[in-house]
Formats: sequence, C-alpha cells, structure tokens
Amino acid sequence: MAPMLEVDRLTKVYRRGWPAARETFRLEADFRVEEPGIVGMMGPNGSGKTTLFELITGSNSPTSGTVRVQGRDIHRVRTDERDRLAIHYHQSYQVRHFSSLYPNALLERAGSAYPMVHLFDEPQFNTQDGYIGFMLDFFRRLSGEGRLVFLCVHPNERFHLEILEEICERFIFVQKGTVTPIADFDGLVAHEPCRTYLGGLLTERAA
Amino acid sequence: MAFFEARNLHKRFGSRVVLENISLAFERGQVSGIMGPNGAGKTTCFHVLTGLHQPDRGEIELEGKSISGLSPQRIATLGVSRSFQIMNLFDDSVVIENVMLALPEFRTRRLSFLGGVFDDTKLVDAATDVLDQVGLAARAWEKATSLSYGERRALEIGVALAARPKILFLDEPTSGLGSEATRNLAALVRRLREHYTIVMIEHDMRFLFELADRISVIHWGQVIAEGTPAELQANKWVRRSALGEAALA
Repeated sequence: MAPMLEVDRLTKVYRRGWPAARETFRLEADFRVEEPGIVGMMGPNGSGKTTLFELITGSNSPTSGTVRVQGRDIHRVRTDERDRLAIHYHQSYQVRHFSSLYPNALLERAGSAYPMVHLFDEPQFNTQDGYIGFMLDFFRRLSGEGRLVFLCVHPNERFHLEILEEICERFIFVQKGTVTPIADFDGLVAHEPCRTYLGGLLTERAA
Repeated sequence: MAFFEARNLHKRFGSRVVLENISLAFERGQVSGIMGPNGAGKTTCFHVLTGLHQPDRGEIELEGKSISGLSPQRIATLGVSRSFQIMNLFDDSVVIENVMLALPEFRTRRLSFLGGVFDDTKLVDAATDVLDQVGLAARAWEKATSLSYGERRALEIGVALAARPKILFLDEPTSGLGSEATRNLAALVRRLREHYTIVMIEHDMRFLFELADRISVIHWGQVIAEGTPAELQANKWVRRSALGEAALA
C-alpha cells in the first residue's frame, strides 16, 4: 500500500527582477505521511503554509520534486480530477483552480472517487457559536474513513493550542520556507522556532 | 425512504465549489434545521432543493418521486413552498391581497374585469383562512407597509402557505427580528408544525435548537454534523460555547 502522502524533495522558488532575477522566496519540503490521520500545521504568516497546500493539491507547480497522493504524482493527474485526490479548504468555502502545460488527454486519471487528502487552511475557530465541535468531529470522521487531514491553524488564542493538542496526531512546523515534521504535541512545543513563534501563548497555557 | 430526500448533490459556480456531495433527508411532520457559518452554502442548498438552481449532480425526491431537473414552478405545484431571506411582498397592496395572489385558485381564476378579486368570496375566505394560520386575520385589510417587521415575516410565511404546500422551506426566518418578534415566530412555527413538514435555515442556534427535531450542520459545502439538538449539544465544544451555556441555563 502506497503512503497517503509523499512530499519528495519538493522545492518552489519565486524569483523577481530582470535581467538578473533575484530569489524572493524558497520553499523546501521533504516528508511523508504513511497512514490516515490528522496533521496539525503551524507557522508564521508568509512562511509558505498556503504555498505548500497549493503544491499538494496540484493547483501550483513545483520548481522541482514531486508530491504523491497514495502513490500518484498529483502534478501528472488530469487537472479536472486532481480534486479527487486532494482538496484545499479556505476559511468557509473551497476553490478549485488548476492549470497545466499539458492537456488532460496526456495526463493520468486520479484513480479515486473521493479526495484522500483534505487540507484545511485556517478554519475560523471561535468559541462563541460551537461550530468548533462540529468541525473537529468532521475531521475525526474523515480520518476514520481513511483520509488524511491537514489542519493549518494560526494560534492567537490559548484554545487554538488546545484544539491542536486534542485532535492532531502529528505536526508540521513551517518557517521561512523550511518545513519541519514533528512527531507529537510535546515535540512541537519543545521545538525552539515554534516556542519563539508561540511566545506568550505557551506561558499562558502553563498558567 | 424519507418524505423529502436529497442525495449526493454537487454544485459549483466556476471554480468555486458550493455544494460537495450533500445528502439530506427530511421526515414528514418534523421540523428539520440547517445551520452553518456564513458562506457555508446553506442558501445555495435551499435554491437547489427547491429547483431555483439545478445541481451539477445528485438526486432530489419528494415522497419517493424524483423532482430533480424540474422547474421551480413545477416543484412548487407538487407541494414545495419556500420563503426567502429578503422579503418579497407587495407593499402597496393590502395584507390579504398578498395572500390571494399566491392562491392556486387565483391563478386558475378566469380573468374578469367586472367583478374585482375582493368580491370573490371564495378567494377571500381561502386567504382569510391562511392569514388566520399565521395570526394576521385581524390585519387583513391594512396595507402591507403598516405591518411591523415581525408581522411582515409572518405574512411572507402566509404567502408561502397559500400554495398549500406539503413541505415548507424557510430561509433564516428570524433574520432582522428582535427578541419579542423571534418569540412570536417560534410560537408560529410550533403551530404550523402540526400541519406541515418544515425545513429551516437558521443562524439563531437557540431558536433552532428549541424548535428542530433534527439539525444538519453545513460547512465547506458539506454536511459536517447531523443529529437531534440533544446529540449536537452533547459535544464538548458546543457546551463550552455561548449556546451550551444557554442550554444549561
């Protein structure tokens, strides 16, 4: 059985300027997730989280490297079927926009009827209305049905960390284009760049 | 087989996915609730269920018969009636006239320039009966503009009932209402549930949890949770929310 997700020596480089283009941003990622489950993702604004999501869903092309969802190279799958492998959820809606240099006729079929990887980009969590509970149950249901869920949270309140601790089995920390997989919540809050990023929230949590 | 059933509905507008594989079932005689954050796809879902939008894929059935692909008018004559978030009333007309115009017998009535509609006692009686159901019989001959906001909402429900539906869809009935008007509306829904199957989209969770037999939570164009109010309220995060506090109070 192929791993749920393999991100293999993936890079995305943005350059600007002419005639001598200067590198403005570089994202590098190399990790794999074998089993279905829920992965928490965190990192400062502009660190490359959304770019990584776009590369995983195949809506953005890598400079080099590959993304395989259950063994299928997402960037070689027909653009109209990529969402059968991975989908990117924005705060309350979903957008599908794909482009490829090649026509669909030259690309591969998805081989799946329902998306295997679900990427949630900063869902709005607020404790007032109770939707958090329904969203967390939905993530658990997807994971229970054999899907892989990524939950990207930008924690600015203590309960955001509670959510991550409650529901995520493993983590990914992204900073300045560097993607670091972390085994568990204790490892996450012990990771020095993450401690700096969370700052006051950690001490508040201990209090 | 539920009274009204939708299976695997998909709807996109361009690259925007509004409904993804939504299945819903509404039982006869029950009040079913639909809730979800802004932009989650609730109103589009109503538009698809009542035929205003065609789904890209999926099946819709009323009493076991497919209504997918039928026009909104055809679906309405089969017994599906709805209200809208933005009220559609004829302000210059009197209250009863708004209901009369929506009666099926008004549409089949032969055009007559001699007798006015108000001389047609059958029509007037039928409309009065509807107004009685929504508590507006005493206001029948006043201009629609003289009604309070809450009464206008009740009149709009009356207009939907004039078609004598089997199932009534209400899109955010409490929107814009104050607490007293919301209480009156809750009492109205309690009376109507004796005779109609009701489906409501509602933002006011307290209102919905009080009235609905079952609730579906829609987010990201999908049903993310479903259950009775008690089942949904058992969730730890719901208990921690303002809603949970209200339920415990």
